[in-house]
Amino acid sequence: MTNRTAQKKQQSSKAKPTKGRPTPKQQKGGRQRSQYPWFAIGAVVVIVFVMVGLSVYNHVRTPATPGSSGSAKVIAAVTSVPASALDTVGAGQGVSPPTAIASGAPEVTSGGKPEVLYIGAEYCPYCAAQRWPVVVALSRFGTFSGLGLTTSSSTDVFPSTPTLTFHGSTYASDVIAFSGVETNTNQLAATGTGYEALDTLTPEQQQLLQTYDAPPYTSPAGSIPFLLIGNRYVITGSSFHPDVLQGKTWRQIASALSDPSSPIAKNVLGSANMMTAAICELTGGQPSNVCTAPGVTAAAATLPSA
Amino acid sequence: MSRPAWVVPTSFGCAIAGVGVSVYLTIAHYTSPTVLACSSSGVVNCERVTTSAQSQVAGIPVALLGLVWFLAMAGLCSPWAWRSPAPWIRVVRQVAVWTAMVFVLWLVYAELFVIRAICLWCTVVHVLAFALFVIVLLYGSEAAGSEP
Repeated sequence: MTNRTAQKKQQSSKAKPTKGRPTPKQQKGGRQRSQYPWFAIGAVVVIVFVMVGLSVYNHVRTPATPGSSGSAKVIAAVTSVPASALDTVGAGQGVSPPTAIASGAPEVTSGGKPEVLYIGAEYCPYCAAQRWPVVVALSRFGTFSGLGLTTSSSTDVFPSTPTLTFHGSTYASDVIAFSGVETNTNQLAATGTGYEALDTLTPEQQQLLQTYDAPPYTSPAGSIPFLLIGNRYVITGSSFHPDVLQGKTWRQIASALSDPSSPIAKNVLGSANMMTAAICELTGGQPSNVCTAPGVTAAAATLPSA
Repeated sequence: MSRPAWVVPTSFGCAIAGVGVSVYLTIAHYTSPTVLACSSSGVVNCERVTTSAQSQVAGIPVALLGLVWFLAMAGLCSPWAWRSPAPWIRVVRQVAVWTAMVFVLWLVYAELFVIRAICLWCTVVHVLAFALFVIVLLYGSEAAGSEP
Protein backbone atom coordinates (compact mmCIF):
# COMPACT_ATOMS: atom_id res chain seq x y z
CA MET A 1 0.00 0.00 0.00
CA THR A 2 1.48 3.44 -0.94
CA ASN A 3 1.68 6.29 1.56
CA ARG A 4 -0.95 8.19 -0.38
CA THR A 5 -3.44 5.35 -0.31
CA ALA A 6 -2.83 4.86 3.38
CA GLN A 7 -3.42 8.55 4.11
CA LYS A 8 -6.65 8.47 2.11
CA LYS A 9 -7.84 5.44 4.03
CA GLN A 10 -6.98 7.08 7.35
CA GLN A 11 -8.81 10.23 6.35
CA SER A 12 -11.86 8.31 5.29
CA SER A 13 -11.94 6.43 8.60
CA LYS A 14 -11.72 9.71 10.53
CA ALA A 15 -14.21 11.46 8.28
CA LYS A 16 -17.31 12.82 9.95
CA PRO A 17 -20.49 11.10 8.96
CA THR A 18 -22.82 12.68 6.50
CA LYS A 19 -26.02 14.20 7.80
CA GLY A 20 -28.75 11.72 8.62
CA ARG A 21 -26.68 8.72 7.68
CA PRO A 22 -24.84 7.17 10.61
CA THR A 23 -21.65 5.21 10.11
CA PRO A 24 -21.64 1.55 11.14
CA LYS A 25 -19.81 2.60 14.33
CA GLN A 26 -22.54 5.02 15.24
CA GLN A 27 -25.12 2.40 14.59
CA LYS A 28 -23.38 0.20 17.13
CA GLY A 29 -23.54 2.95 19.69
CA GLY A 30 -21.07 5.70 18.99
CA ARG A 31 -17.46 5.77 20.06
CA GLN A 32 -15.89 2.39 20.60
CA ARG A 33 -16.02 1.19 24.19
CA SER A 34 -13.01 -0.40 25.87
CA GLN A 35 -13.26 -4.15 26.26
CA TYR A 36 -11.80 -4.02 29.77
CA PRO A 37 -15.11 -3.93 31.70
CA TRP A 38 -16.36 -7.04 29.94
CA PHE A 39 -13.12 -8.91 30.61
CA ALA A 40 -13.29 -7.91 34.29
CA ILE A 41 -16.95 -8.89 34.64
CA GLY A 42 -16.33 -12.14 32.77
CA ALA A 43 -13.34 -12.95 34.99
CA VAL A 44 -15.41 -12.49 38.14
CA VAL A 45 -18.20 -14.68 36.77
CA VAL A 46 -15.73 -17.40 35.73
CA ILE A 47 -14.00 -17.36 39.14
CA VAL A 48 -17.35 -17.73 40.93
CA PHE A 49 -18.44 -20.56 38.62
CA VAL A 50 -15.15 -22.41 39.11
CA MET A 51 -15.41 -22.08 42.89
CA VAL A 52 -19.03 -23.26 42.94
CA GLY A 53 -18.15 -26.16 40.62
CA LEU A 54 -15.24 -27.29 42.80
CA SER A 55 -17.37 -26.97 45.90
CA VAL A 56 -20.20 -29.07 44.43
CA TYR A 57 -17.64 -31.64 43.28
CA ASN A 58 -16.22 -31.88 46.81
CA HIS A 59 -19.69 -32.02 48.32
CA VAL A 60 -20.89 -35.09 46.42
CA ARG A 61 -17.84 -37.18 47.18
CA THR A 62 -17.60 -40.25 49.42
CA PRO A 63 -18.87 -40.52 53.03
CA ALA A 64 -16.77 -39.82 56.08
CA THR A 65 -13.97 -42.24 56.81
CA PRO A 66 -10.45 -41.38 57.96
CA GLY A 67 -8.41 -39.98 55.14
CA SER A 68 -11.36 -39.77 52.73
CA SER A 69 -12.58 -36.54 51.25
CA GLY A 70 -15.96 -37.19 52.89
CA SER A 71 -14.31 -36.32 56.18
CA ALA A 72 -14.53 -32.70 55.06
CA LYS A 73 -18.22 -32.63 55.98
CA VAL A 74 -17.51 -33.82 59.49
CA ILE A 75 -14.67 -31.36 59.93
CA ALA A 76 -16.81 -28.55 58.57
CA ALA A 77 -19.57 -29.37 61.06
CA VAL A 78 -17.17 -29.49 64.01
CA THR A 79 -15.36 -26.29 63.09
CA SER A 80 -18.56 -24.28 62.66
CA VAL A 81 -21.01 -25.40 65.32
CA PRO A 82 -24.05 -23.05 65.37
CA ALA A 83 -23.71 -20.37 68.03
CA SER A 84 -27.29 -21.05 69.11
CA ALA A 85 -26.42 -24.67 70.00
CA LEU A 86 -23.39 -23.55 72.02
CA ASP A 87 -25.48 -20.92 73.82
CA THR A 88 -28.27 -23.35 74.61
CA VAL A 89 -25.87 -25.91 76.07
CA GLY A 90 -24.00 -23.33 78.18
CA ALA A 91 -21.94 -25.03 80.89
CA GLY A 92 -23.27 -28.40 79.70
CA GLN A 93 -23.47 -31.68 81.53
CA GLY A 94 -20.77 -33.83 83.12
CA VAL A 95 -18.00 -31.38 82.31
CA SER A 96 -14.91 -31.48 84.53
CA PRO A 97 -13.48 -28.03 85.27
CA PRO A 98 -9.82 -27.29 84.46
CA THR A 99 -7.14 -26.74 87.07
CA ALA A 100 -6.16 -23.11 87.56
CA ILE A 101 -2.49 -22.22 87.47
CA ALA A 102 -1.29 -20.00 90.31
CA SER A 103 -1.04 -16.35 89.30
CA GLY A 104 2.42 -15.12 88.44
CA ALA A 105 3.31 -18.11 86.27
CA PRO A 106 5.43 -17.14 83.25
CA GLU A 107 3.44 -16.35 80.14
CA VAL A 108 3.08 -19.13 77.59
CA THR A 109 3.25 -17.54 74.16
CA SER A 110 4.11 -18.37 70.58
CA GLY A 111 4.69 -15.76 67.89
CA GLY A 112 3.74 -13.04 70.35
CA LYS A 113 0.31 -14.55 71.03
CA PRO A 114 -0.87 -16.52 74.07
CA GLU A 115 -0.54 -20.21 73.32
CA VAL A 116 -2.85 -23.16 73.77
CA LEU A 117 -0.90 -26.43 73.77
CA TYR A 118 -2.44 -29.86 73.30
CA ILE A 119 -0.35 -33.01 73.72
CA GLY A 120 -1.94 -36.38 73.15
CA ALA A 121 -1.75 -39.52 71.03
CA GLU A 122 -4.02 -41.06 68.43
CA TYR A 123 -4.36 -44.38 70.26
CA CYS A 124 -5.53 -42.72 73.49
CA PRO A 125 -9.35 -42.90 74.03
CA TYR A 126 -9.45 -39.94 76.40
CA CYS A 127 -7.56 -37.88 73.84
CA ALA A 128 -10.14 -39.00 71.28
CA ALA A 129 -12.91 -37.53 73.40
CA GLN A 130 -11.01 -34.36 74.26
CA ARG A 131 -10.18 -33.38 70.66
CA TRP A 132 -13.86 -32.73 69.81
CA PRO A 133 -14.35 -29.82 72.24
CA VAL A 134 -10.81 -28.55 71.64
CA VAL A 135 -11.56 -28.21 67.90
CA VAL A 136 -14.99 -26.67 68.55
CA ALA A 137 -13.53 -24.13 70.99
CA LEU A 138 -10.48 -23.16 68.94
CA SER A 139 -12.56 -22.77 65.77
CA ARG A 140 -14.26 -19.82 67.46
CA PHE A 141 -10.92 -17.98 67.56
CA GLY A 142 -9.36 -19.02 64.26
CA THR A 143 -9.22 -21.53 61.44
CA PHE A 144 -7.86 -25.05 61.22
CA SER A 145 -6.39 -26.50 58.06
CA GLY A 146 -5.48 -30.12 57.45
CA LEU A 147 -7.47 -31.71 60.28
CA GLY A 148 -7.99 -35.43 59.76
CA LEU A 149 -10.16 -38.19 61.17
CA THR A 150 -8.94 -41.18 63.13
CA THR A 151 -10.00 -43.49 65.96
CA SER A 152 -8.51 -44.44 69.28
CA SER A 153 -6.91 -47.85 69.65
CA SER A 154 -9.19 -50.81 68.96
CA THR A 155 -7.66 -52.73 71.87
CA ASP A 156 -7.83 -50.09 74.63
CA VAL A 157 -10.79 -49.01 76.76
CA PHE A 158 -13.52 -47.22 74.78
CA PRO A 159 -12.16 -48.97 71.69
CA SER A 160 -12.08 -47.24 68.32
CA THR A 161 -13.61 -44.00 69.57
CA PRO A 162 -14.11 -41.77 66.51
CA THR A 163 -12.11 -38.57 66.71
CA LEU A 164 -10.05 -36.01 64.82
CA THR A 165 -6.29 -35.76 64.72
CA PHE A 166 -4.07 -32.71 64.97
CA HIS A 167 -1.23 -34.53 63.20
CA GLY A 168 -0.46 -32.58 60.02
CA SER A 169 -2.88 -29.78 60.82
CA THR A 170 -2.20 -26.06 61.10
CA TYR A 171 -4.10 -23.35 62.93
CA ALA A 172 -4.31 -19.62 62.24
CA SER A 173 -5.82 -17.00 64.53
CA ASP A 174 -5.41 -13.28 65.13
CA VAL A 175 -5.58 -13.66 68.89
CA ILE A 176 -4.05 -16.99 69.95
CA ALA A 177 -1.53 -19.61 68.86
CA PHE A 178 -2.22 -23.32 69.01
CA SER A 179 0.05 -26.35 68.87
CA GLY A 180 -1.42 -29.83 68.64
CA VAL A 181 1.02 -32.67 69.13
CA GLU A 182 0.14 -36.33 68.57
CA THR A 183 3.05 -38.33 69.93
CA ASN A 184 1.88 -41.74 68.64
CA THR A 185 -0.40 -43.29 66.04
CA ASN A 186 -3.16 -45.81 66.86
CA GLN A 187 -1.10 -48.62 65.30
CA LEU A 188 0.84 -51.00 67.50
CA ALA A 189 4.56 -50.63 67.09
CA ALA A 190 6.42 -53.32 65.17
CA THR A 191 8.41 -54.01 68.30
CA GLY A 192 5.17 -55.15 69.97
CA THR A 193 5.44 -52.57 72.71
CA GLY A 194 3.43 -49.39 72.61
CA TYR A 195 2.34 -47.55 69.47
CA GLU A 196 4.19 -46.20 66.47
CA ALA A 197 5.77 -42.80 67.14
CA LEU A 198 4.33 -39.79 65.33
CA ASP A 199 5.02 -36.14 66.29
CA THR A 200 7.98 -35.03 68.38
CA LEU A 201 7.79 -32.47 71.16
CA THR A 202 9.97 -29.39 70.88
CA PRO A 203 12.23 -28.64 73.87
CA GLU A 204 9.85 -25.83 74.89
CA GLN A 205 6.83 -28.16 74.76
CA GLN A 206 8.77 -30.78 76.71
CA GLN A 207 9.53 -28.15 79.34
CA LEU A 208 5.86 -27.10 79.60
CA LEU A 209 4.82 -30.75 79.90
CA GLN A 210 7.28 -31.33 82.72
CA THR A 211 6.15 -28.20 84.53
CA TYR A 212 2.38 -28.43 84.22
CA ASP A 213 1.66 -32.12 83.60
CA ALA A 214 2.85 -32.89 87.10
CA PRO A 215 1.84 -32.28 90.72
CA PRO A 216 0.35 -30.00 91.98
CA TYR A 217 -1.56 -29.62 88.72
CA THR A 218 -2.14 -33.29 88.00
CA SER A 219 -1.31 -36.70 89.29
CA PRO A 220 0.20 -38.91 88.07
CA ALA A 221 2.64 -36.81 86.10
CA GLY A 222 2.76 -37.17 82.35
CA SER A 223 -0.93 -37.97 81.77
CA ILE A 224 -2.45 -37.40 78.35
CA PRO A 225 -4.36 -35.73 76.93
CA PHE A 226 -2.68 -32.63 78.25
CA LEU A 227 -4.18 -29.25 77.45
CA LEU A 228 -2.40 -26.11 78.59
CA ILE A 229 -4.38 -22.89 78.15
CA GLY A 230 -1.66 -20.23 78.33
CA ASN A 231 -0.46 -19.65 81.84
CA ARG A 232 -4.01 -19.87 83.22
CA TYR A 233 -5.40 -23.41 83.12
CA VAL A 234 -4.36 -27.05 82.75
CA ILE A 235 -6.62 -29.92 81.76
CA THR A 236 -5.33 -33.48 81.91
CA GLY A 237 -7.59 -36.28 80.79
CA SER A 238 -10.81 -35.66 78.93
CA SER A 239 -13.21 -32.99 80.12
CA PHE A 240 -16.15 -35.41 79.77
CA HIS A 241 -16.63 -39.17 79.82
CA PRO A 242 -15.70 -40.84 76.49
CA ASP A 243 -18.54 -43.30 76.97
CA VAL A 244 -20.96 -40.79 75.42
CA LEU A 245 -19.21 -41.26 72.06
CA GLN A 246 -19.24 -45.06 72.08
CA GLY A 247 -20.85 -46.76 69.10
CA LYS A 248 -21.18 -43.51 67.18
CA THR A 249 -19.69 -42.63 63.81
CA TRP A 250 -17.86 -39.37 63.10
CA ARG A 251 -20.88 -38.13 61.19
CA GLN A 252 -23.31 -38.98 63.98
CA ILE A 253 -21.15 -37.13 66.48
CA ALA A 254 -20.76 -34.14 64.18
CA SER A 255 -24.52 -34.02 63.51
CA ALA A 256 -25.33 -34.31 67.21
CA LEU A 257 -23.39 -31.10 67.86
CA SER A 258 -26.16 -29.12 66.16
CA ASP A 259 -28.74 -30.58 68.52
CA PRO A 260 -28.27 -29.01 71.97
CA SER A 261 -30.60 -31.56 73.54
CA SER A 262 -28.36 -34.50 72.59
CA PRO A 263 -26.08 -35.99 75.27
CA ILE A 264 -23.11 -35.57 72.90
CA ALA A 265 -23.78 -31.85 72.51
CA LYS A 266 -24.22 -31.37 76.26
CA ASN A 267 -20.84 -32.98 76.92
CA VAL A 268 -18.82 -31.78 73.94
CA LEU A 269 -20.27 -28.26 73.65
CA GLY A 270 -20.30 -27.80 77.43
CA SER A 271 -16.58 -28.65 77.45
CA ALA A 272 -16.00 -26.40 74.44
CA ASN A 273 -17.73 -23.46 76.18
CA MET A 274 -15.59 -24.04 79.27
CA MET A 275 -12.40 -24.05 77.13
CA THR A 276 -13.62 -20.99 75.22
CA ALA A 277 -14.19 -19.11 78.48
CA ALA A 278 -10.68 -20.06 79.63
CA ILE A 279 -9.15 -18.94 76.32
CA CYS A 280 -11.08 -15.65 76.50
CA GLU A 281 -9.11 -14.86 79.66
CA LEU A 282 -5.96 -15.09 77.55
CA THR A 283 -7.28 -12.94 74.71
CA GLY A 284 -8.66 -10.19 76.90
CA GLY A 285 -12.19 -11.01 75.84
CA GLN A 286 -11.54 -11.05 72.09
CA PRO A 287 -13.37 -11.70 69.82
CA SER A 288 -16.09 -9.98 71.80
CA ASN A 289 -18.96 -11.75 70.07
CA VAL A 290 -17.47 -15.09 71.16
CA CYS A 291 -16.41 -14.12 74.67
CA THR A 292 -19.71 -12.44 75.55
CA ALA A 293 -21.87 -15.23 74.11
CA PRO A 294 -24.35 -16.51 76.70
CA GLY A 295 -22.93 -20.05 76.54
CA VAL A 296 -19.41 -18.82 77.24
CA THR A 297 -20.39 -16.54 80.11
CA ALA A 298 -22.36 -19.40 81.66
CA ALA A 299 -19.31 -21.67 81.40
CA ALA A 300 -16.99 -18.91 82.68
CA ALA A 301 -18.87 -18.96 85.97
CA THR A 302 -17.74 -22.56 86.48
CA LEU A 303 -14.02 -21.84 86.01
CA PRO A 304 -11.94 -22.15 89.16
CA SER A 305 -9.89 -19.19 90.34
CA ALA A 306 -6.15 -19.40 90.91
CA MET B 1 -22.04 7.27 24.39
CA SER B 2 -24.98 8.38 26.45
CA ARG B 3 -25.56 6.72 29.77
CA PRO B 4 -28.86 4.78 29.78
CA ALA B 5 -31.56 6.30 31.94
CA TRP B 6 -31.76 3.24 34.18
CA VAL B 7 -28.16 3.46 35.37
CA VAL B 8 -28.66 6.14 38.01
CA PRO B 9 -31.83 4.77 39.68
CA THR B 10 -30.62 1.16 39.45
CA SER B 11 -27.21 1.82 40.97
CA PHE B 12 -28.67 4.04 43.68
CA GLY B 13 -31.37 1.43 44.36
CA CYS B 14 -28.79 -1.37 44.63
CA ALA B 15 -26.75 0.69 47.10
CA ILE B 16 -29.80 1.50 49.23
CA ALA B 17 -30.92 -2.15 49.18
CA GLY B 18 -27.38 -3.11 50.21
CA VAL B 19 -27.57 -0.69 53.13
CA GLY B 20 -30.82 -2.33 54.22
CA VAL B 21 -29.50 -5.89 54.10
CA SER B 22 -26.21 -4.87 55.73
CA VAL B 23 -28.09 -3.21 58.59
CA TYR B 24 -30.03 -6.46 59.04
CA LEU B 25 -26.82 -8.53 59.10
CA THR B 26 -25.09 -6.06 61.43
CA ILE B 27 -28.00 -6.20 63.88
CA ALA B 28 -27.86 -10.00 63.74
CA HIS B 29 -24.13 -9.89 64.42
CA TYR B 30 -24.47 -7.72 67.50
CA THR B 31 -27.58 -9.41 68.87
CA SER B 32 -28.18 -13.00 67.83
CA PRO B 33 -27.71 -14.76 64.50
CA THR B 34 -31.04 -16.45 65.08
CA VAL B 35 -32.84 -13.20 64.16
CA LEU B 36 -31.94 -13.90 60.51
CA ALA B 37 -34.81 -15.39 58.52
CA CYS B 38 -32.69 -18.21 57.16
CA SER B 39 -32.03 -21.91 57.55
CA SER B 40 -29.60 -22.93 60.31
CA SER B 41 -28.93 -26.45 59.10
CA GLY B 42 -27.64 -27.98 55.90
CA VAL B 43 -25.73 -26.22 53.16
CA VAL B 44 -27.72 -23.00 53.48
CA ASN B 45 -26.86 -21.95 57.01
CA CYS B 46 -26.70 -18.22 57.76
CA GLU B 47 -25.92 -18.80 61.42
CA ARG B 48 -22.87 -20.93 60.68
CA VAL B 49 -21.51 -18.30 58.31
CA THR B 50 -22.27 -15.23 60.40
CA THR B 51 -20.73 -16.74 63.54
CA SER B 52 -17.66 -18.18 61.79
CA ALA B 53 -14.11 -16.92 62.31
CA GLN B 54 -14.38 -15.38 58.84
CA SER B 55 -17.29 -13.17 59.92
CA GLN B 56 -14.76 -10.70 61.27
CA VAL B 57 -11.68 -9.11 59.73
CA ALA B 58 -9.16 -7.76 62.22
CA GLY B 59 -11.90 -7.76 64.82
CA ILE B 60 -14.32 -5.77 62.64
CA PRO B 61 -17.54 -7.57 61.68
CA VAL B 62 -17.77 -8.15 57.94
CA ALA B 63 -21.44 -7.07 58.13
CA LEU B 64 -20.33 -3.68 59.46
CA LEU B 65 -17.71 -3.34 56.70
CA GLY B 66 -20.47 -4.08 54.18
CA LEU B 67 -22.73 -1.46 55.72
CA VAL B 68 -20.02 1.20 55.54
CA TRP B 69 -19.28 0.26 51.92
CA PHE B 70 -22.91 0.40 50.82
CA LEU B 71 -23.39 3.74 52.57
CA ALA B 72 -20.38 5.07 50.65
CA MET B 73 -21.74 3.61 47.42
CA ALA B 74 -25.14 5.19 48.08
CA GLY B 75 -23.35 8.53 48.11
CA LEU B 76 -21.18 7.73 45.08
CA CYS B 77 -24.17 6.45 43.09
CA SER B 78 -26.61 9.17 44.09
CA PRO B 79 -28.10 11.24 41.26
CA TRP B 80 -25.98 14.15 42.45
CA ALA B 81 -22.77 12.10 42.22
CA TRP B 82 -23.63 10.77 38.76
CA ARG B 83 -24.29 14.36 37.58
CA SER B 84 -21.10 15.69 39.12
CA PRO B 85 -18.27 16.36 36.65
CA ALA B 86 -15.66 15.87 39.43
CA PRO B 87 -13.21 13.20 38.20
CA TRP B 88 -12.38 12.01 41.72
CA ILE B 89 -15.90 10.63 42.12
CA ARG B 90 -15.39 8.32 39.14
CA VAL B 91 -11.99 7.23 40.44
CA VAL B 92 -13.27 6.51 43.96
CA ARG B 93 -16.28 4.65 42.54
CA GLN B 94 -14.02 2.43 40.44
CA VAL B 95 -11.64 1.72 43.33
CA ALA B 96 -14.58 0.99 45.63
CA VAL B 97 -16.21 -1.58 43.34
CA TRP B 98 -12.92 -3.33 42.61
CA THR B 99 -12.07 -3.53 46.31
CA ALA B 100 -15.53 -4.86 47.08
CA MET B 101 -15.39 -7.46 44.32
CA VAL B 102 -12.05 -8.85 45.55
CA PHE B 103 -13.49 -9.00 49.05
CA VAL B 104 -16.68 -10.67 47.82
CA LEU B 105 -14.65 -13.33 45.99
CA TRP B 106 -12.72 -14.03 49.19
CA LEU B 107 -15.97 -14.30 51.15
CA VAL B 108 -17.49 -16.67 48.59
CA TYR B 109 -14.32 -18.77 48.79
CA ALA B 110 -14.57 -18.80 52.61
CA GLU B 111 -18.24 -19.86 52.45
CA LEU B 112 -17.64 -22.65 49.95
CA PHE B 113 -14.32 -24.07 51.11
CA VAL B 114 -13.67 -23.02 54.72
CA ILE B 115 -17.08 -22.67 56.38
CA ARG B 116 -18.81 -24.99 53.89
CA ALA B 117 -22.13 -23.26 54.25
CA ILE B 118 -23.95 -20.55 52.34
CA CYS B 119 -25.58 -17.53 53.93
CA LEU B 120 -28.55 -16.40 51.84
CA TRP B 121 -28.50 -12.83 53.10
CA CYS B 122 -24.76 -12.59 52.48
CA THR B 123 -25.40 -13.84 48.95
CA VAL B 124 -27.95 -11.06 48.43
CA VAL B 125 -25.26 -8.59 49.48
CA HIS B 126 -22.76 -10.21 47.09
CA VAL B 127 -25.21 -10.00 44.19
CA LEU B 128 -25.91 -6.32 44.91
CA ALA B 129 -22.18 -5.61 45.08
CA PHE B 130 -21.68 -7.44 41.78
CA ALA B 131 -24.51 -5.43 40.17
CA LEU B 132 -22.82 -2.22 41.26
CA PHE B 133 -19.49 -3.57 39.98
CA VAL B 134 -21.03 -4.20 36.54
CA ILE B 135 -22.78 -0.83 36.36
CA VAL B 136 -19.75 1.15 37.47
CA LEU B 137 -17.39 -0.70 35.16
CA LEU B 138 -19.67 -0.24 32.16
CA TYR B 139 -20.90 3.29 32.78
CA GLY B 140 -18.92 4.75 35.66
CA SER B 141 -15.86 5.87 33.72
CA GLU B 142 -17.68 8.47 31.65
CA ALA B 143 -17.62 12.08 32.71
CA ALA B 144 -21.01 13.54 33.55
CA GLY B 145 -20.69 16.09 30.78
CA SER B 146 -19.73 13.59 28.09
CA GLU B 147 -23.23 12.78 27.00
CA PRO B 148 -24.22 14.33 23.69
